[in-house]
Amino acid sequence: MDRIATWISRLFGAALLFLSGFVALETVLRKVFNTSLQGADELGGYVLAFGASAAFVVALIDRAHVRIDVLHQRFPVKVRAWIDFAAVLSLGILGVFFLYIGWFVIIDTISYKSTAATPWRTPLIYPQAAWYAGLAFFAAVSLWLSGRALRLVLAGRIDQVAKEFSPKTAEEELAEELDHLSAR
Amino acid sequence: MSILDVTIGFVTMMGLLMIGFPVAVVMVAMGVLGGMILYGPVLLKSMGPVLWGVSNENVLTAIPLFILLGELLLRSGLADRMYGALALWLGRLPGGLLHTNIGACSLFAATSGSSVATAATVGTVALPALGERGYDPARSLGTLAAGGTLGILIPPSVNLLIYGSLASVSVGQLFVAGIIPGILLTLTFMGFVVLESLWRRSRGLPDASKLEEKLPLKDRLRALVHLVPAAVVFLIVMGSIYMGIATPTESAALAVLVALLFVWREGRLSFAFLDVCFRQTAKTTGMILLIIAAAFTLNVTLALGGITGVISNWVAGLGLAPTGLLFALVVFYLILGMFMDVLSMQVLTIPIVVPIVVAAGIDPIWFGIFVVLMSELGMITPPVGMNLYVVQGVRTDGGPFSDVIRGAIPYAVIMLLFTILLILVPQIVMWLPQSLMG
Repeated sequence: MDRIATWISRLFGAALLFLSGFVALETVLRKVFNTSLQGADELGGYVLAFGASAAFVVALIDRAHVRIDVLHQRFPVKVRAWIDFAAVLSLGILGVFFLYIGWFVIIDTISYKSTAATPWRTPLIYPQAAWYAGLAFFAAVSLWLSGRALRLVLAGRIDQVAKEFSPKTAEEELAEELDHLSAR
Repeated sequence: MSILDVTIGFVTMMGLLMIGFPVAVVMVAMGVLGGMILYGPVLLKSMGPVLWGVSNENVLTAIPLFILLGELLLRSGLADRMYGALALWLGRLPGGLLHTNIGACSLFAATSGSSVATAATVGTVALPALGERGYDPARSLGTLAAGGTLGILIPPSVNLLIYGSLASVSVGQLFVAGIIPGILLTLTFMGFVVLESLWRRSRGLPDASKLEEKLPLKDRLRALVHLVPAAVVFLIVMGSIYMGIATPTESAALAVLVALLFVWREGRLSFAFLDVCFRQTAKTTGMILLIIAAAFTLNVTLALGGITGVISNWVAGLGLAPTGLLFALVVFYLILGMFMDVLSMQVLTIPIVVPIVVAAGIDPIWFGIFVVLMSELGMITPPVGMNLYVVQGVRTDGGPFSDVIRGAIPYAVIMLLFTILLILVPQIVMWLPQSLMG
C-alpha cells in the first residue's frame, strides 16, 4: 500500500512540476513577447482532475481524510474499532457513489463526442477517462481496505485496527514531522 | 422546508461527524439524502457535472501548487536559517527571542500553508535555544503556538483559496486583502511581547538569564541573505497578482520553479527530497480536495433546495444589525473552533454563512479574512487546538500542557480584540484590495 502511495505521489508531483514549467513559460511568453502557447489553464484543470482523484488514494492510505475525533477518542476501544471500520467502508461507498454520478458525465461526453471549448479542442473523454480511473481506483482501494478492517475487527485484533484505521492524532502527525526534520 | 427541517438535518449531520465518520462522507450523505427527499433521484444526475467541474477547476489547481511550494521551502532547511538571521535583528528587543518566534512564523507563513509543519519546524529550532537561555516556557510556547496560526492569514494561504472557491469570490483579491491584517496582527503580537517584558522588568523579572549579544552591523547584514528566498517567493506571488500579471494559479507555478532553484542552490535537490515533498503534497491535496468536492456536492442540494434561502430569511427575521450579526458569528465560530479542525469548520459553514452575511450587506472579501481569523483562533483554543498540541509535542523539557494553554491565552484574547477591531474598522481589510481595483 505504501508503495502505491509513493508512486501515485511521484506521478502527481512530476505532473505538478511539468505544469509549473508550462504555465511559467506561458506567462512569460504572454507578458514579454505577447504571444501565447494557450491552454495552460486547460492543462492545469486536467492535471488537477486526474491528480486529485488519484491523491484521494494517497490521503486514504496515509489516513489523512478528515475525521473529527473529539468523541471518538472517548469511546471504548471495541466501539472505536467498529467505527473505524464503518468509516473506511463509508469512504468506499462514497467512491462508488462518485463513480455512479461520474458515469452521467462520461455517458454525455461519449454520446455528444464533447470537446473542450478551448483552442486545443481536447476531446474531453481523455481527461475524463483518467479522472474516472482515479475515482475507480479510490473506490477499489477503500473497499479493499474496509475488507481488511472487517477481518481485523472480527479477529479481535483491535490494536491493529486502531493502528491502521484510526484518524491520525496530532501526536502522530507531529512525530512524522520530527522524523523528517531529523532525517535532514 | 422550514427552519425546523434544516435544524433536524444539521443536528443529524453534527451527530455523524462527532461519532467520527469522515467529514466528506457525511457532507455527501446529507446532500444525497436531502436531495432525494426534496427532488428524488433527478438531483443526483446534476451532481455528476458538479463533481467533474470541481475536479477540473483551474483556480483549485493553485492548491496543490501552493502546498508543493511550502513543502519545498520548508523541507530544504532554508527555513531553519531564517530563524538565526531574524534572531540577530529581533533578539535584542524587549522580549528577545520571543520576537524571533513570531517573526519566523510569519515569514514561514508567507511561503507555506501548513501550520503543523510550520510550528514543528520553528519549534524544533527555537525551543532548545529558548530553554538554554532561560525563557519562561509558557511565553515561549505561547508565541510559537500563536505565531504558527499566522500561516493561514498571510498570503499565499490555502485557506483563503478554499474560501474563495466556496464563496465564489476572487482569490487574488482575498490574497491582497490578507496582507495588511496579517502584518498588523504580527506587529500586535510583538507589541504584546514588548509590553509584557517591560511589565516584567518593572517587577524585576528579566526575559531570560542570558540575552543575545550584539553583533557588528556587518555580520547582521550578511545574515540577511537567509531571508532572501522567502522574500523573493512572497514578492513573486503577491507582486504578480497585485500587478495583474498572473492569476493565483500562475503565480503559484512561477513560485514553485523559483523555489526549486533555491533548493538546488542549497544542494538539497535529490530524489529522496522530492519524494518526501511529493508524498506530503499528494496527501494534503487529496484530503483537501475530497472535502471540497463533497462540499460542492452538498451545495447542489443546499442551493436547489433553497435551504440557504430558508436560513438567510430566518436570520434576517431576527432583525440583527450587521454588527450584531457579526458579533453573533464571532461567538458561533469561537465555540465551533474549540471542537473542529479548521478545514471542516470552513467547508461546513462557508456555503451557508456567506449568503447570510452578503444579504446583510457585508463584503464577502472582508468576510473571508474574518473567517480565516476565526479559524486561526480555533487553532489555539482547547480542547481541539491543533497548534497547542504541536508545540507541546515539540518541547523537550517535559513540562505540563497547562504551560502551553497559559501561554496561548493572551494571544487568543488579542485575536478576538483584533477581530472586533476589523468589525469596527473594516477599511483595514478593504483598503488594499479596493485600491487595487481602482
